[in-house]
Amino acid sequence: MKTKIALAGQPNCGKSTIFNMLSGIKQHIANYPGVTVDKKSGFFSYKDLDIEMVDLPGTYSFSSYSLEERVAKQFILEESPDLIINIVDASNLKRNLYLTFQLLEIGKPLIVILNMADVAERRGIKVDVNQISQMLNCPVILASGFKKTGKNEILEEIYRISNTKDEYSEFRINYEELEPSIRIIKEKITKDYNINKRWLAIKALEGDNFIIEQLSKDIENIKDDLKHELEHFEAIFNKNIQSFLAAMRYDSAEVVFSKSVKETKKDELTLTDKMDKVILNRWLSFPILFLVIVTIYQLAIVYGYQLTNYTWPYLAAIKNFASSILPAVDIAHVPMITDFGIWIVNSLNALLNYLPIFFILFALIAILEDVGYMPRMAFILDRVFRKYGLHGQSTLPLVLGGAFVGGCAVPGVMSTKGIADDRARMATIFTVPLMNCLAKVPFYTLLLGAFFPNQMSIMMFFISTITIFTALIISKVITSTILKTRETAPFVMELPTYNLPTFKGVLIRAVERVWQYIKKVCTIVLAVAVVLFVMLQFPGLNKEEQAKFDKQEQTILKKFDKDISKTAYHDKFQNRENVAELLNFYSDYRAKKMAGSSTADEEFMKKNEFLYSIVRAKTKDEKTINRALRNLDRGRNRILREQKSIRIENSLLGMIGRSLEPISKFAGFDWKINVAFLSSFAARESAVATLGSIYESGKAENQRAEEAMRENSGYTPLHAAAIIIFMLLTPPCIATMVVVKLQANSYRFMILSLFLPFGLAMLMATIVFSLGTIFNISGFSAMSIYYAVVVLIAIVLGLIPEKRINWKGGLK
Amino acid sequence: MGLNSCKSGKRYIIKNINAKGKLFYKLLDMGFIDGAMVEVVREAPLYDPMELKIHNYLITLRKSEATLIEVEEA
Repeated sequence: MKTKIALAGQPNCGKSTIFNMLSGIKQHIANYPGVTVDKKSGFFSYKDLDIEMVDLPGTYSFSSYSLEERVAKQFILEESPDLIINIVDASNLKRNLYLTFQLLEIGKPLIVILNMADVAERRGIKVDVNQISQMLNCPVILASGFKKTGKNEILEEIYRISNTKDEYSEFRINYEELEPSIRIIKEKITKDYNINKRWLAIKALEGDNFIIEQLSKDIENIKDDLKHELEHFEAIFNKNIQSFLAAMRYDSAEVVFSKSVKETKKDELTLTDKMDKVILNRWLSFPILFLVIVTIYQLAIVYGYQLTNYTWPYLAAIKNFASSILPAVDIAHVPMITDFGIWIVNSLNALLNYLPIFFILFALIAILEDVGYMPRMAFILDRVFRKYGLHGQSTLPLVLGGAFVGGCAVPGVMSTKGIADDRARMATIFTVPLMNCLAKVPFYTLLLGAFFPNQMSIMMFFISTITIFTALIISKVITSTILKTRETAPFVMELPTYNLPTFKGVLIRAVERVWQYIKKVCTIVLAVAVVLFVMLQFPGLNKEEQAKFDKQEQTILKKFDKDISKTAYHDKFQNRENVAELLNFYSDYRAKKMAGSSTADEEFMKKNEFLYSIVRAKTKDEKTINRALRNLDRGRNRILREQKSIRIENSLLGMIGRSLEPISKFAGFDWKINVAFLSSFAARESAVATLGSIYESGKAENQRAEEAMRENSGYTPLHAAAIIIFMLLTPPCIATMVVVKLQANSYRFMILSLFLPFGLAMLMATIVFSLGTIFNISGFSAMSIYYAVVVLIAIVLGLIPEKRINWKGGLK
Repeated sequence: MGLNSCKSGKRYIIKNINAKGKLFYKLLDMGFIDGAMVEVVREAPLYDPMELKIHNYLITLRKSEATLIEVEEA
């Protein structure tokens, strides 16, 4: 037998701990189509009953001004669950019962679960379960998701109700003055909606647009009738229906509360009160906030990054595996399929490398959410952010995105989900990618190392703090222009009591979010990697160039042949295949060793004892061959590198880079930088990799990238400053764009988040570079002036008073 | 008087709510109904928003919204 259960409750009532307790880890998460609210289902069995439990978004009521409520209501109306479970915070009973009454009116079997029974007990709140059960005429169960109590009672009750199918006698609140109107509307509803008609009538009178739209499909003139009843009621009783209904429900909740609850520690300070005295204290709140942020940063970004040292070998193993099954390299001829395979694996690895960081980050966010610090963070900072069109709740996304140096926009943008104010949410989504992501850091280090070795720390300070000022300016500008018409929400936010998070709950959420990242990001990144590969590969080398490299290959092969001619193994390496085999054997072995494999020796010895003996060279002949082999390998790598840089230069992307030169030259960028930026769009890491491969001179093997850049590029520090300014504003990478699209739910916005920062970055870099050139300013001074101007603009914008309040009314 | 000008640590009774639309619904859902008792717990470190206790739970309101709630001292 099957049953479908909806799990409803107010936010912060501990719904998810109950959900996890009942459903185990086998869950299915999907997004409701078209919206960004998660739909979580759990499937499990109890005795012979197959249960599907759907976790509805937390809602304070069933009126219709928020997305969550619409989703919850739509589910109950359209999917018609067999049973509704209402989770109620036992320590906050009065307000929670407000929703319970609305759920009871729906007319489906209802089980009330008094959750957080342990918290209530600690706070001296004694609840008479039988009394409530009698008054509400439905089963009431005491439970604690945190302490895992009440599970069996709940399952048993679900089982009993599903089997007996006993219909509850209709639950009704007597709405006195409103009853005549309810009756009139109810009589008009003739079609069977598989739901209580009285409820539909009440919702329609309450002005619930969703219900009214549903009804008006079948009933003519329903809108006029409703309007008539509304005006009639207001004229006679001088009351507004919404507040009348709310007051009635609160009165009923008050009755239940006063009859069934005894408070023994009523006026004592709760633990939450005491903690808030410190955490929200005027003088301590900011240092504590700072400490929390630094801790998150340290644990997730710094330690997470160290953790990648341990996970990287696994990714390297994937790469090695891929290269082992792909066609082997033939001296200086790399089959395109091999090139392609390695490119794809590298692209994916670059992103998968961040998984440990994300996992820690998501786990920490889940903990902060569960503890109840998030809304407090918003409470502390709202005043500052509001001035720039953001919201107190924007703090966390910005920090995650890398408000200091090193974050990632993907989790940052994803964490904007909870912001109630739509305009501020969009502004936050837009500004998070402007933060300094972790992958930009190597790029900065490269440039600073090459051009600002003496001012490195102050430059790093500029880089790490300017992003937040830039974000504030951009947010202010877009919220007062393109986002002007977006809905804002009033800042009415619950500060939940502090709670200990459960290990399982935190783990489930962290895994869930990491998995979403893997799924959504990797598919897109894969697609883009393919496109980029094509753009970097074609049209490739022309005949003359190819012939030139073939000749070079011949030269190094001849040299190798000559070097080993006197050894005993000379005749073993007479043909090209054998040499290629040896060369690949040698480089595979080195790759394995460098990846830290401890079994490499054994493995390679087994594979080919003869080749292994040459690689490990013991005898004189072997040593001679080994030396020649090293030379050959070096020569081969040089040819490959030159081929690559010519191929990049010839490629479509290279051509685009060149064609942008006429514009980008005003910012001081040559085509090489353009190509690096274009390729960095797939993943930021590629910027450094591309620049590195372009500037590798091949002359001195051990030259560091910084030196190569300084000597071979012909840039001045002013060039570098312009490049840094460009990089600071540079548009989001593909992965970020995917989540921007997901969270903003609009392609237009995604495109805008790509081109606006890009245009701005180009403009700023151009201004700085041109003025710098004209007035002959050094790169460092140019950066300092730019920094000062940005900070100044941010402060001035902050001083402009906000005008917007987009709701009416006020004290007369 | 408006709730925005109330003092921390004191209790007040809600007389009237002058909000409209979304904000009005939201306030009703959170228990801001005529006759309900609110306690002003504290102001944020930067003096806005403010923290209130109503029906025995904590909630924050910006002062621009608190202006719309008419109260009198309990």
